[in-house]
Parts: sequence; C-alpha cells; structure tokens
Amino acid sequence: MQKILIKNVSKEYISDFKRKRKTAVDNVSLSIEKAEIFGIIGVNGAGKSTIIKMIMGFIKPHSGQIFVSGKTPLDPDSRRNLGYLPENPYFYDNLTARELLMFSCQASGLDKKTSIRRIEILLKKVGLFAEQNQKLRTFSKGMTQRAGICFALVHDPDIIILDEPMSGLDPLGRKIVIDLICDLKQRGKTVLFCSHILNDVERICDRVGIMDGGSLKRVYTKEEIFKSVDAENNLEEIFLKIIGRNQ
Amino acid sequence: MMTRKLFALTILTFKEGVRDRALFGIGLFSLLLMAGSIVVVSMFMRELHKVTVDINLSAITFAGLLLSFFVSINLMSKDIDRYTIYSVLSKPFSRSQYIWGKYLGIMLLIVTAMGILTFCSSLAIWFTKSQYSLYFQGFSWMEFYKAVYAELLMFFLLNALIVFFSTITTSSFITLLFSISTYIAGQTIEEVVLFLKTKHAAEIFMSEGINTIIGIVQYILPNLSVFDLKLQSAHAITISWDYLAAVTGYSIVYSIVLLIMASLIFNKRELR
Repeated sequence: MQKILIKNVSKEYISDFKRKRKTAVDNVSLSIEKAEIFGIIGVNGAGKSTIIKMIMGFIKPHSGQIFVSGKTPLDPDSRRNLGYLPENPYFYDNLTARELLMFSCQASGLDKKTSIRRIEILLKKVGLFAEQNQKLRTFSKGMTQRAGICFALVHDPDIIILDEPMSGLDPLGRKIVIDLICDLKQRGKTVLFCSHILNDVERICDRVGIMDGGSLKRVYTKEEIFKSVDAENNLEEIFLKIIGRNQ
Repeated sequence: MMTRKLFALTILTFKEGVRDRALFGIGLFSLLLMAGSIVVVSMFMRELHKVTVDINLSAITFAGLLLSFFVSINLMSKDIDRYTIYSVLSKPFSRSQYIWGKYLGIMLLIVTAMGILTFCSSLAIWFTKSQYSLYFQGFSWMEFYKAVYAELLMFFLLNALIVFFSTITTSSFITLLFSISTYIAGQTIEEVVLFLKTKHAAEIFMSEGINTIIGIVQYILPNLSVFDLKLQSAHAITISWDYLAAVTGYSIVYSIVLLIMASLIFNKRELR
C-alpha cells in the first residue's frame, strides 16, 4: 500500500523582482510503500527539501500530484498521521521541551494520559528527560535536534518525514536516531528521510533515491546497493558517478 | 477535535507570549506610570480625578500598544521569519486554523495583560480617591471601565491588522511599519476628514484626485479614534450603551473581515 505517492511533480521558483524562473524539482515520480524506509540523497540544491516541503503542503507543485495516505497535502487530514522534522528545526524559545511535546500530542488528538506516557518514553529514549522542564532557548543544537525528533514521533505517526535528522548530532545522538528509525521500521512505520551522510543512508534504507538538479536520477534498492558496493565501489562512488561529478 | 486543536495552538501562543521578556518590561513600566500618577496628582490643585483617570487610561493604552507592536508581531511574523511555523503546520492544522489559533492566543495575552493593568490601575485610582475624596465627586467607575473596554476593542482590531499584515509581508520589520502607520492613520483619519470639511480647508487648494483618495482611504482604514473614550471617562460624561454596542460591532466585524482576508492570502502563500 502506497503511503506517499508523487506523480510527475515539478516545481519552479520565481525570483521576486527579476521574475527569473529556476526549476527546483523537475518531473519527479516516486512512491513509498508502507513499512519502507526511503532515503533521498543529493547535493545541496538538488531539490530534496523542496520535495519534502511539497509533501508537507508548505509549498505547492506547479504540476503533478502528491498524495499522502491517499489525501492531497492541502488537506490537513493528510498530516494527522504524519511526523515531520524540518532541516535545522526552530522551536518556540520560551516553551519547555515538555510543553512543546504536549502541544504536538494535543494537536494530533492524543488524550492527556497517553500523551504523558509517550512524552516520558521518548524523552528518556533521546536522553532529554532530565532537561524536560528547561526552556528550549537554553538547548544546544544537538538537544534541539533531539527535541525535534521527539516532536515528530511523540504522537506515534504512521509516516515519518525527517529532513537531515543527523544534522548537529554527536555520535551518540546519531546512534540513538538510527536505533529509533530501525525501531520504527520494525513497527511497520513508513520513513522518508534526506541526509548527506551516505553511511547512514546505506545502513538503514530499504531504497535510496539519488537527486541532482531537481531530477530523481535513480532509485536503488538495498539489494542493488549491496550488489554494486564492493571494496572499490561504495555508495559514495555510485552517488558521484550518477551525478557525474567524480572527476 | 477542531476546537481542541485550536485551543492547543491558542495556549501555545499565549505561553510563548507571556514568557517574552519584553512583556515584563512593558508591565513594569506601566505599573510605574500608574504608581507615579498617585505622586503626580498631588501636584495638581484641581480636577484631580481627570488627571488620575487620564494617566491611568493612557498607561493601559500605552502598554497595550507596546504589547501589540512588539510581542504580537514577534508571535506572528517571527513564526514565519524563523520557520517555527513548520512545526505547527506539520500538525493537522489548516492555514485558516493557524491564523485563528494565533489570533486567539494573542488576544488571550492582551486580555490577560489588560485585566492585570486595569486591576492595578483601579487600585491606583482607589488610593488617590481615598486620599482626595473631595476632588472625586464627578468620578464614575462605570465610565472608567467602559473606556477600558473600548480600548480592548481597539486592540482586538489592531491585532487583527497585525495578523493580516503578517500574512502579506515577508519580514516582521515591514509588519511593524505597516501596523504603526495604520494605527497613526486610523487614529487621525477622522480629524483629517473633519478638517477638510471646515471653511479653513476650503481655502487650501487640493486637487480632486487627493480628495478622492482621502475619501477612499477614510472607508478602507479602520477609524480607531472611535475607541478612544479617555476624554469622556475623565470628565465622567456618560457613554451610552448604544455607542458601546456600535463600536463592539465595528471592532468584531472589521476584525473578522481582516482575519478572513488573512486566511485567504495565507492559504496561497508559499512557505519556503
């Protein structure tokens, strides 16, 4: 069953004054199945975040269609069962981690008892339980990232979209996030994530899409990656070859 | 479910605003102004109640304006500037629900702040009244509270304007500029129009075009001077309930129209 379906989606940005057009995403089609971990890799400006923002409904495609759980992103219900971590997340400075997560639960329709239980479990998992009543403005980048991961997962969504989840995390933080993603997969959740860290993508993804210049150049399954990868030919080599910049 | 979601966003906005450091500065300044009114009044020889009411109502208005221009704009525009909006809109909120939730949160903050300031102001007036009871014969608590209520209605409208400007601009500074300009124009437009109708104005040459523009602007801009009842309150002139009902209707209808327009514009906005 398709959880995320992207059909021939294109997106152009138009600069405000010169009205110059720039293609950010060019005719991308993709479907992500239930219980699948799909990774998107690509250089900066490849269109990864633009695709995610279109799935979230923050921006609209110029052409093509997107469906999340069968609903278009314009329908708020498409986000009812969805968790999202933005790239470099910013949260409200004056709220505590606990208040932020409580908001996430309430907005997603969780009852108070379940919310308290879920918040406690997740904060313990990411190592923020002791800082739960600390204001978010006192958090370091890594702590904010962890709080963001909790915000995305606290209501136990079926679809999780993570934009650069490892950004700003120390090795321990990265390990926690990888374990969390693996745990999500075991529980039948669908995960879409963008990352620059190819090692992580290689380790946890069922399929990997390589993007360049707004186009989805190729999608590899885990088996295909394993077949291609040998001592001289790792994912980095494959990636560079695909985007044609291995000189 | 929708009410619960909206309530969650309202409370989130309120909590974020109530802990803003600027709020403490604004509150402290206003309280000092009110306490200062007790001292200042003792320097006057007559009409002490007018001075007391005027200073206290001005302190409430000033605090409300600072709160609207700095804390409300922070809560609204910075949400877009700093992309905190992504975390809210990743939840099942429509753009319209976001606008309404934020507005209600801001209004909860304004109502709470004005409630506290009105209480402190009442204490200051009560204390001055007990010290100089002879000078407070013409004072009316009812007219004082009616004036406070009218100020609150003005803030309902002003904050709806701020929310509206936040949806059409891309920076909090521009929202601030638009809001302050509209506030000043809204407070003075009635006077300008009245002046243009006097015989002195007839001597000034003005092109038809400018007259037409002023005529149009008069109907587009909110007339904020209708909410300023300080003078009536200070002189204990009875403010009719009909007048209060009319300005209540004006504020509510204008605010709703602004919020609907803000929702429509925000629905089309790209959040990249």
